Amino acid sequence: MEYKEPHSNGALASICTNLSKACDKQMRPTEAGLFGKLAAYFSQSAGVVGPVSFNDLDAYIASDSESGYVVAESRAQQIGDRGALRCVTWGKKVTAIHKSILTRYAKQGNSLLEGNNLYVCEACGFIAIAKEVPELCPICKAPASRFSKI
Amino acid sequence: MHAARNIALCTKDCLCLFICPTGATDTENGQIDFTKCLDGCRLCVDACPSHALYLVFDRYPVKPDKDVAVVSALDNLLESKVKQELIGAALAQDGSGGAKLAKAIAHSDRVLAEDCAREARYMLPQGSETRELLTELLARRGDPGFPVEVVEQLLELLQ
Repeated sequence: MEYKEPHSNGALASICTNLSKACDKQMRPTEAGLFGKLAAYFSQSAGVVGPVSFNDLDAYIASDSESGYVVAESRAQQIGDRGALRCVTWGKKVTAIHKSILTRYAKQGNSLLEGNNLYVCEACGFIAIAKEVPELCPICKAPASRFSKI
Repeated sequence: MHAARNIALCTKDCLCLFICPTGATDTENGQIDFTKCLDGCRLCVDACPSHALYLVFDRYPVKPDKDVAVVSALDNLLESKVKQELIGAALAQDGSGGAKLAKAIAHSDRVLAEDCAREARYMLPQGSETRELLTELLARRGDPGFPVEVVEQLLELLQ
C-alpha cells in the first residue's frame, strides 16, 4: 500500500521506540532491545540545525491544533476509525496543554516550576507541573504508576 | 501462549504456586519461567485471587488495512511531533534555562509521536506494515554506522 514519502530519521526513531515498547509488553526482550538499537541509530542521525528557542515550538503547535488534528479527526470520524480518533482526542488535548504551559512559562519564567516537579504520562504525553504525581491522568485516566518524573 | 505476572498487583497469596504443575510460577525474580510454563495452560491465571497473572500470546491477528487518508494525516502529525521533540531536546541541552521544562516537552512529544506511529499502521511488531518497513530499511546497508544486522535479526525473529 502506498502512503507517502519515506519517514524522517526522527520519525523512524519514534516508530522504533513504539515497537520496542510493544515487544516489551509482549515479553519479547530480545526484539525490544533490537528495536531500541535501531531507535538509537535514528536518534543520533536526527537533530535540529542552529540555535533554538521555546518560541520555535509555537508554529508547530498552532499548525497541529488548527490543521493537523482537524484533518485527522474529520477523516477518522468519517470512516469510523475509533483508534485513530482516540489518538487524536488525547493528542489535541495534550498539545493544548503544551501551548498553555509555554504561554505561562513565557510570562512567569522559572518561577512556574519553583517548588514543583514535572511529570509526563507515558500513555498520552500529558505534562503535570505539581508537587506530587497525579493519582490519575486527567487526559487518558492512566494511574500514577504510568507517570515518569523528569 | 504463556503466563506473565504483574508484580505490582501480586498480593503474594501464592495460589499460583499451588496450582502450577511445573513450578514455572515459583521463581526468585517474580517472573514466570517461560521454559517451564505450559502453552495455553492458564491454571495460575484462573487461580490468582488478585488478577496479577495474565496470558501473553505468541500469535497476533492480521489487522484490517488502515485508511490511506487517516495514515497520511497521522504521518504528518508524527513528523510535526518529532520536530517539536528535537527542538525540546536541543533546548534541554543548550543550558539557557528551562532545561527541565524542555526535557518534559521533548518526552511528551515522543509519547505523542509514538501514538501517531501506532495508529498509523505500526501497532504490531509482527504486522505486515512493520515487516515492509524493516525490509525497506535493508536498503540502508552500507550507510555509515547503520546496524543492518539488527534489521536482519528482527525480520528473522518476527516471522
